[in-house]
Amino acid sequence: MTLLKAFVVTVALLCASLLEAHEIGTTQVRLTLHRDNTWTAYIVTAPQTLANKLEAEANEPRTSGLTQDQLHAELERFLPALARHIEVRFDDVPSPATVSISELQVVNDLTIPDFVELRAGGAMPAQAKTVSWRYDLTYATYALQLADSDDAEPETHWLQGDVRSRPFPIAANNPPPSHVDIAWQYLQLGFKHIVPEGLDHILFVLGIFLLTTKLKPILVQVTAFTIAHSVTLGLTMYGIVSLSSRIVEPMIALSIAYVAIENILTARLTPWRPAVVFGFGLLHGMGFAGALTELNLPRQEIIPALISFNIGIELAQLTVIATAYFGVAMWIQNKPWYRTRFVIPASALIAATGLFWTVQRIFDF
Amino acid sequence: MMKRLALSAALLLACGELQAHDFWIEPSTFHPLPGTVVRVGLRVGQNFIGDAVPRYSDGIAQFYIRQDGKDEPIEGADGGDPAGFLRASGEATAVIAYRSAGSPITLPAAEFEAYLHQYGLERVIAERAKRGESGKSGQERFYRYAKALLAGAKSSPDNKSSPDNKPAPAPSRPLGLDYEIVPDDDPAAHLGPLRGRVLYQGKPLAGALVVATPRDQPTGALRVRSDDQGAFSFALPRGGVWLITSVHMVRASFFSTEDWDSLWASLTFDRPGPPQ
Repeated sequence: MTLLKAFVVTVALLCASLLEAHEIGTTQVRLTLHRDNTWTAYIVTAPQTLANKLEAEANEPRTSGLTQDQLHAELERFLPALARHIEVRFDDVPSPATVSISELQVVNDLTIPDFVELRAGGAMPAQAKTVSWRYDLTYATYALQLADSDDAEPETHWLQGDVRSRPFPIAANNPPPSHVDIAWQYLQLGFKHIVPEGLDHILFVLGIFLLTTKLKPILVQVTAFTIAHSVTLGLTMYGIVSLSSRIVEPMIALSIAYVAIENILTARLTPWRPAVVFGFGLLHGMGFAGALTELNLPRQEIIPALISFNIGIELAQLTVIATAYFGVAMWIQNKPWYRTRFVIPASALIAATGLFWTVQRIFDF
Repeated sequence: MMKRLALSAALLLACGELQAHDFWIEPSTFHPLPGTVVRVGLRVGQNFIGDAVPRYSDGIAQFYIRQDGKDEPIEGADGGDPAGFLRASGEATAVIAYRSAGSPITLPAAEFEAYLHQYGLERVIAERAKRGESGKSGQERFYRYAKALLAGAKSSPDNKSSPDNKPAPAPSRPLGLDYEIVPDDDPAAHLGPLRGRVLYQGKPLAGALVVATPRDQPTGALRVRSDDQGAFSFALPRGGVWLITSVHMVRASFFSTEDWDSLWASLTFDRPGPPQ
């Protein structure tokens, strides 16, 4: 793939990511947790469709065209069954719900939609740490507004149809971790992402190191790599850039092969090498972001997490270089055969691994 | 054997909470009189019970009606249900078409496999197993290709006013959707069995599961597989509104952020004859 093609594809993907669309329905849910250890949920949905779903479940014929009073009576009849479709779990333990109809509007006017508002409620165990929600009588995507205390601002979570939500932490019962705790946690995560989990990143750093044991070329390359991956890590985390892992991962593998092959061809820092390492650093940054985005970080934690995660990555890189230097290079770098018997075979091995991964990641086997 | 039993049990358990649902067009009438304004609703659901999907422009790639040989966009207000309005000519059978822009979804492995099983996509189950992905969550982008037929005065099987009175050909002509159910005849006028083809990128698709669901008795859905020519046939036992659906799934392109693309075709129409 030419660089131009890669660029065009990248731009196309960035644009496409702005066009994500879900099938958003008309159901809305507002779930509130109260100080008196109870919860209430208000579900607004289309009444006739709701009745039809419950009728179908009971193997009864479907009604249609009911008046407001008839529909009220029909839904009242199904309230116990309806309660079984509302699943609120505290620390993964279900809290049985009771349901009532708080409002019903059925009008024969196209501009005013019919709706029923259901009020569900139940008990909440004291000191519960998490709450999860599921309402399986809807098929379209809908918004769950969750307020985890009476005076909390509700947070909106989009749920796919009848899917169960992830467990949401209940703030009052989860004292927020200190900044030190957060920093330490993500520093460890960043370090582990390279050592021992990131063999491809380790090989890339070793490829940088093998060019020469002189401090300046190593510093120039490591600095270029660090700046580049920090930039894309941040931009990816904020959703400003995104690139398919199907592109990022083969390119990361290719970058490993590139630096290793160049090590075989030359023993000095070429003028273009820092620029190439910078370019590959941009790709590696997107790869790093994958580990963080999977954690669904709260927005207020993104910056401290990013900084400490990045520090963890730098420490891991330095650890790799220090291990390679003190473990091997320091003892043999002045031998006449250092380049022919160590640098070139090691680089060839790294290049072969990088090329194998490139093919493997492109063809997905 | 135990492994197979355990897998079957997991699939059955997961079937109770499937997150994959049919999509169809539900017009306010399937028999508009000339000049009638028809409300065109979009529905997502199962067993022909659907939640309304209000219009969302960013999610629509195409939404139009082909009537009297012309294509006209279906207009509507964003956020509105019904998703669109059209004025029917009421002449020959017209075709409403909707194509979504595609939405990503990720399902846990058991639920993804259960949905593949339910929609007859055993080929994908086998391919996931071959790739060692059976235990992985399913990442897909789903595309909707929905059609509905509006009968016109010339579509009526009782219409004997003209010697060249033939069922309107429009429903039997492919619209060029990536995945499409194309009846051989006009099912809004034709009283016999429903015969048609499923086309993937314009070519017949063999082995696709095609399901026909009557609105009045959705538990009596009929299921057949398309043959080598992509053809299927149903002896629809009753008149009334029917929903024909089929789902196809292919490996997503190299540049996709998902692993699979699923293509959901549907066709809704009101078949003449007693509801029984």
